[in-house]
Amino acid sequence: MSERLEAQRRLITVWILRTSIGLSVACIAAGLAVFLIKGADYQPHTPSGPITAILAYVWQEAMGLHASAFLDAGILVMLFTPLARLASGVVANARARDWLYVGIGAVVIALVLTGLFTGQDAG
Amino acid sequence: MSPLVTVIVVLTGGVLAGVIGSLTGLGGGLVIVPMLTLVLHMPLPQAVGVSLFGVIATSVGAAPRFVGTGLSNVRVALFLQVAASSGALLGALVAHNVPARVLFLIFGLVMLYSAVMSFLPTQHDDAGAPADSPLAARLRLASRYKSGDKWIDYKVQGVTPAFGIMVGAGMLSAMLGIGSGVFKVLAMDKLMRLPFKVSTATSNFMIGITAATSAGYYLAHGEVQPIIAGPVILGVLGGAYMGGHWMTTLPVQQLRRVFAVVLSFVALDMLLKGVGV
Repeated sequence: MSERLEAQRRLITVWILRTSIGLSVACIAAGLAVFLIKGADYQPHTPSGPITAILAYVWQEAMGLHASAFLDAGILVMLFTPLARLASGVVANARARDWLYVGIGAVVIALVLTGLFTGQDAG
Repeated sequence: MSPLVTVIVVLTGGVLAGVIGSLTGLGGGLVIVPMLTLVLHMPLPQAVGVSLFGVIATSVGAAPRFVGTGLSNVRVALFLQVAASSGALLGALVAHNVPARVLFLIFGLVMLYSAVMSFLPTQHDDAGAPADSPLAARLRLASRYKSGDKWIDYKVQGVTPAFGIMVGAGMLSAMLGIGSGVFKVLAMDKLMRLPFKVSTATSNFMIGITAATSAGYYLAHGEVQPIIAGPVILGVLGGAYMGGHWMTTLPVQQLRRVFAVVLSFVALDMLLKGVGV
């Protein structure tokens, strides 16, 4: 990988990590604040189901400004951070035409995503 | 326990896990899972699901300081990650069919192993491997890292046995909610003969991806309570930040030994729970 591509890769990686940490912390802190203000009669939870169902639930909760939306968004940002870092690595390797590591990176991403789609929708 | 008290207890536990993890190198999962099961009496699968988010936070929080130093060997991490993530998926599937008592027993044994390793004198081969193995050469795993102002080159071998160990490390991570860094570092340090600093930084990169693989499974099965996982993430990130600043002023080696003694007692508690006492 050339020096220029390597420098770009470093910048993007640090940006992904710092942005994700900031976003995750902000979402969770907001969720906890909403939860503590609203009191104990509301119990935040994450429904079982594939990631698409969880994202739909988070969107629905966000419309009502419920604590679950913020808390779930914060933990989802944290969960997707390693994936985003992997994906940026795959893109960097593709730009460097390092197809072996594009392939290996894609296999790892597929394995991580598999876990997210195994859930059964509780209905 | 009121929701406010629960949040405070979990947040405090997360901070403790983050501080201990960054000061001693012993994973936060070894603090979080016992706290959730023994103190808050949470079912083990839920505690494991939450703890995996703490492991991701540990990895993500520490990662920025390794970028650009060459300490994290991304090619080694990616190749071994195929095994670790496969093991993590397998472990998440298996964990749901293993009785909790057996998991408590395994957890207690892993904790005891980690504690014992903290007391053993550490000898690291700074010279590294003399030459690349054929597989390491084909995968272009050899690299270099920055030490002060100098770049130090190193070679790699023992890729196949390390790959096998990563399957087991991934399984343990998913079943117990830990990073399994102790096994990953051991495989890279002793089998692949990577420089120790490279092994620890590469392991830090890997534990986040391994935990994300199984955390996704636990999340999709409704076993992650956001009101517990959220404070754990906040606590671990904050604790790791504090620990990073205290690292230069506190006697880390002595702390590591004190924590290992505490770990041994908690391990005994977990083992007793495992045998039904």
